Amino acid sequence: MSTNGHGGGVARPGFRTLTAGLLLAAAAWGLYSLDSQIQVFGFGASGPDARSFPRVALSLLAAVVALRLVLSLRAEDFPLGNPVRLGRVLAVTASSAVALWAMPQVGFFFGAAGAGIVVALMLGERRPLLLVLPLIVAAVVTFGGRHGLSIPLP
Amino acid sequence: MLVDAFLELLNLWVLVAALVGIVSGIIIGAIPGLGPTMAIALLIPVTFSMQPIPAIILLLGVYQGAIFGGSISAVLLNVPGTPSSAATAIDGFAMARRGEGGRALRFALYASVVGNIFSCLVLMALAEPLARFALDFGPAEMAMLMLFALLVIVLFGGGSKLDALIMVLVGACAGIVGLDPISGTPRFTFGSFAFENGFQLIPVLIGLFAMSDVLLQAFDREPLVGDVEVPPLKSSAVRFIELWRMRMTLFLSSLIGTFVGILPGIGSTVPAFMSYSLARSRSADPDAFGRGAPEGVAAPEAANNAVTGGALVPTLALGIPGDAVTAVILGAFMLHGLAPGPFLFRDHGLEVYAIFEALLLSSIPTVLLGLMFFRVAIHVTRIQPRHLLPAITILAIFGAFSVNNSLFDVWVMLGAGVLGFLFRRAGFPLPPLLIGLILGAPFEQSLRQALLTSGGGYGIFVGSPITIGLVALTVLSLAISLFFSLRKPRL
Repeated sequence: MSTNGHGGGVARPGFRTLTAGLLLAAAAWGLYSLDSQIQVFGFGASGPDARSFPRVALSLLAAVVALRLVLSLRAEDFPLGNPVRLGRVLAVTASSAVALWAMPQVGFFFGAAGAGIVVALMLGERRPLLLVLPLIVAAVVTFGGRHGLSIPLP
Repeated sequence: MLVDAFLELLNLWVLVAALVGIVSGIIIGAIPGLGPTMAIALLIPVTFSMQPIPAIILLLGVYQGAIFGGSISAVLLNVPGTPSSAATAIDGFAMARRGEGGRALRFALYASVVGNIFSCLVLMALAEPLARFALDFGPAEMAMLMLFALLVIVLFGGGSKLDALIMVLVGACAGIVGLDPISGTPRFTFGSFAFENGFQLIPVLIGLFAMSDVLLQAFDREPLVGDVEVPPLKSSAVRFIELWRMRMTLFLSSLIGTFVGILPGIGSTVPAFMSYSLARSRSADPDAFGRGAPEGVAAPEAANNAVTGGALVPTLALGIPGDAVTAVILGAFMLHGLAPGPFLFRDHGLEVYAIFEALLLSSIPTVLLGLMFFRVAIHVTRIQPRHLLPAITILAIFGAFSVNNSLFDVWVMLGAGVLGFLFRRAGFPLPPLLIGLILGAPFEQSLRQALLTSGGGYGIFVGSPITIGLVALTVLSLAISLFFSLRKPRL
């Protein structure tokens, strides 16, 4: 585990704290919106209804994540590191999201190839010849998917 | 049944599927960072248009090949291709440094085959009787069984129990999305029709194991393998007498691998190290371990290959996956209409036995192809992430789309990829999440069906010898875990 603890004080938040915080927020939101997101129609049956299991599971999740957060306060965390590194992750995620969003208009080949080229660039590829590689892979996958596996790709 | 199943294998496509699967597995497994889980998840869409038997044989061939492929980079570069090969690297790399890399790989290959054959025989012996026994299970028994399985993953899966519990609950909560299994009420669907089917297993798998790898590499930007010199591979052979001398090690390692594999969530890394330790403690020359002892290579390889058959026992007989790889294989079975569980053997016995026999017989091509391809596979360990991961991104998008021909599944895959990245960077284990996702919905369904049957009375969960036995096992597991936690405190 990478460390950035401060010798007995509260550790600087890292990936563990961030992830646990997001999970806690999601579980709390799930509990808050449980009644509006799950409608229950009483048919006179006894026992748990459609809300029971989600309520128990989300409550348990919130409790154990809160415990993890408390325990993590003084424990070593995985540092978030240089913002440039996170920027690369965001760039890959955003490019994939844009590719998916545009796929119904531009088609699978251009969407997937575009996402592949951005990934190659973010991983440090700079040689133009090798940036063509995702185009070739996307072409093979598009052709094979459409004609070999009969999948109606966008 | 066995003869009919064998006749099903006398088909050119079955042979082609097995060979393609094993060769792909060896090559993919040899690339550090690309494990069998990712390989199988990405290859599932390729099998859509195939018959169930060759499709599953292809995927199991990938698995078998990838486990051996993982030992290639472990032995020659000291970089385990799969986590379970880490134990192999200890003595394998030591052998390679003194010019015995070829011998180490041959020991690994033969031990893999022994482990695979042993676990296949156990699988064939145990799976159907267990499934037949489970046919008597009602909702209360199934609920208690799944609770026990989830608890075992949390208590004995290795690492932090709290983190494993969080991941199981995340999986179970993700399984809530969709239609309620009893009343059909939409739950957390945000009024969208696409959400009503819930999160499909294959897109989630691809996201967690393939897309998250792309994001991790974008974050780390480290080469899969540094500038490690590959030791020269001299011509070498392993004589039968050398394997015969380590027969007890091979037997005990296979036994450990198979029976640890049956327990859900533990995976193949733990039995590999357990077998390594046992082999060292039983050895007449324990000091040779760590300095290039052939038994130090054979023991973990026999164990981690034996896990396959063991993990398939609860996966196929009860629908409870043993580890991440068998969870993916379970998804493949479901996609091909072979729903794992007690009814699998009754409804698709022929197909299942054909797959078992193929798994057993594939040891022969695994040896032949392993010997032929390990020199080729050395070269693929040099592939850089920036060449490989763009292709994986494209395959991940394609694979997620092709499950239901739906872009919604691709969004699910991308979301699972981002979450997988965060979880892996934060040190949370992914297999418990996957098993929580698979078992969460059926656990809720069984629990509520049992309570509906009993009119809301919880006595139904201790109302039969089977449920009492399962409750006793659950309490015993908790007690054992508590005992070991008190003896060796760990956060």
